[in-house]
Amino acid sequence: MIEFNRVSKRYVDHDALRDVSLTIPTGEMVFLTGHSGAGKTTFLRLLMLLERASMGSLRVDGRDTARIKGRNIGRYRSEFGIVFQDHQLLYDRSVLENVALPLEIAGFRPRDIQRRTRAALDKVGLLGRERANPAVLSGGEQQRLGIARAVVARPRFLIADEPTGNLDPQLSAEIMGLFEAFNRVGVTVIVASHDLALISRLRHRIVTLKAGRLVAGAGL
Amino acid sequence: MNKPAAGLGIAPRASVVSWVHHHRQAASNSLLRAFRLPVATGLTWLVVGIALALPASLLVILQNIEAVTGDMRSPARFSVLLEADTSLNAAQTILKRIESRVDVRDVTLIPQDQALARFAADTGLVGLLDSIPDNPLPHTLLVNPLASVESEGLSELAKGLKVVRGVDQVVFDTLWQARLAGVLQAGRRLVMGIGLLMMVGAVLILANTIRLAIEARRDEIVVIKLIGANDAYARRPFLYTGLWSGFGGGLLGAIMVGVFFIYLSEPVNQLLQLYDSDRRFTGLGIMGVLNMMFLGGALGLLSAWHAATTQLRELEPR
Repeated sequence: MIEFNRVSKRYVDHDALRDVSLTIPTGEMVFLTGHSGAGKTTFLRLLMLLERASMGSLRVDGRDTARIKGRNIGRYRSEFGIVFQDHQLLYDRSVLENVALPLEIAGFRPRDIQRRTRAALDKVGLLGRERANPAVLSGGEQQRLGIARAVVARPRFLIADEPTGNLDPQLSAEIMGLFEAFNRVGVTVIVASHDLALISRLRHRIVTLKAGRLVAGAGL
Repeated sequence: MNKPAAGLGIAPRASVVSWVHHHRQAASNSLLRAFRLPVATGLTWLVVGIALALPASLLVILQNIEAVTGDMRSPARFSVLLEADTSLNAAQTILKRIESRVDVRDVTLIPQDQALARFAADTGLVGLLDSIPDNPLPHTLLVNPLASVESEGLSELAKGLKVVRGVDQVVFDTLWQARLAGVLQAGRRLVMGIGLLMMVGAVLILANTIRLAIEARRDEIVVIKLIGANDAYARRPFLYTGLWSGFGGGLLGAIMVGVFFIYLSEPVNQLLQLYDSDRRFTGLGIMGVLNMMFLGGALGLLSAWHAATTQLRELEPR
């Protein structure tokens, strides 16, 4: 369970989040929406411990994230799968090596890495492209590769920041379908998106942020 | 809402196997990356090689000088000049007395007549010496101490000889030995100083190389840290880069020293022959080569550790 309790994030010149309280139970799929600058990315950055809250508390599965420090941050982050709008793929590695990365970091055996990586690629429809360089893949394929990398280590939480930002409506729907598929097997999914037309078609909670304040979707 | 995901559940053994696997992968990838950039890698190795080769060459030259001068150092010997009016019989008595000391190996008596004849023969002043009515030279005892007697023992022996009745002067020229030892000691320190400076230079150059490598792979580091890598994981490839740079530099430095010594050995060996020395000019040897490689590797690792640790500490995400 993810619990934001009166969380604020203040930068030198502005408040990115103001007094946000929100609970996301384990296994839920939530859309986080709002205009640019609403605080969606800050929300996700706080969750990933890329930033620390200026005020309030953030608890994940009962752990106070303010107490997670140093070498434990990596281990904490490995519980999350993260999908970026710009994919953040490594172009000097093959498709297979990109997907294998979280498993290597997590300390899996080489043979398990091979098996799980192929399974993840199969789920996103990229099996057969293992040896390819990510640069030769289309935008949709690159995003699916990013998703495969995010889910290969079977994270408990899947976070996506504008995952369909650069994709056409059909590919966007496909990507959302993948997120729903992972949510069905118990992964807590949080998707930040400003594509209201797309997310309103899906039957999941929509949390709306405006100028750093939570304006809708706080209740379960 | 769905059933919660189970998470990773990694067995400890799997972590160790994977840790070893990642080390092997980081080591081989770093080496391959180095070979893919032959010019940059070659220049780095060359700089490290020169930094190690200069002090190594000086050190080997110094060792050769020490070996050669060690042969030249004759065992210490005292010339004991007896008083002018000492008779030959009295000189024999003094000889026996000195010979009975535990720190003396043997004593040779050179009677004053023999000394004068030797002096006349050596200097060619036979006529002049014939014109002198009295022999001005005293009987002399040449005292050879035991080989095991070191500097303090020699001073004690000198004091002991001086107080023997009938002894006028004790001559023991250790000055040239002290001077040589001083020169060699200064040489050793000079080599150490130069070596230290060159190694600091090599460490700084390697650290800068690693910093540039980290900058070039900043995006990759950000991604791997975002997906859960800690600093140790992110640092590992750069540690191997530093290690290979140091090893390569050490090997190149050893080759440079080897070539230099091949070039130098012929005239030096001829010179040694002229001095009737059995010594031959010796280079690094296999252990020297390995030492240079390991020293280079250690310096590379040290530089990489420092550069990567400080750089990763400043890099977001932490």
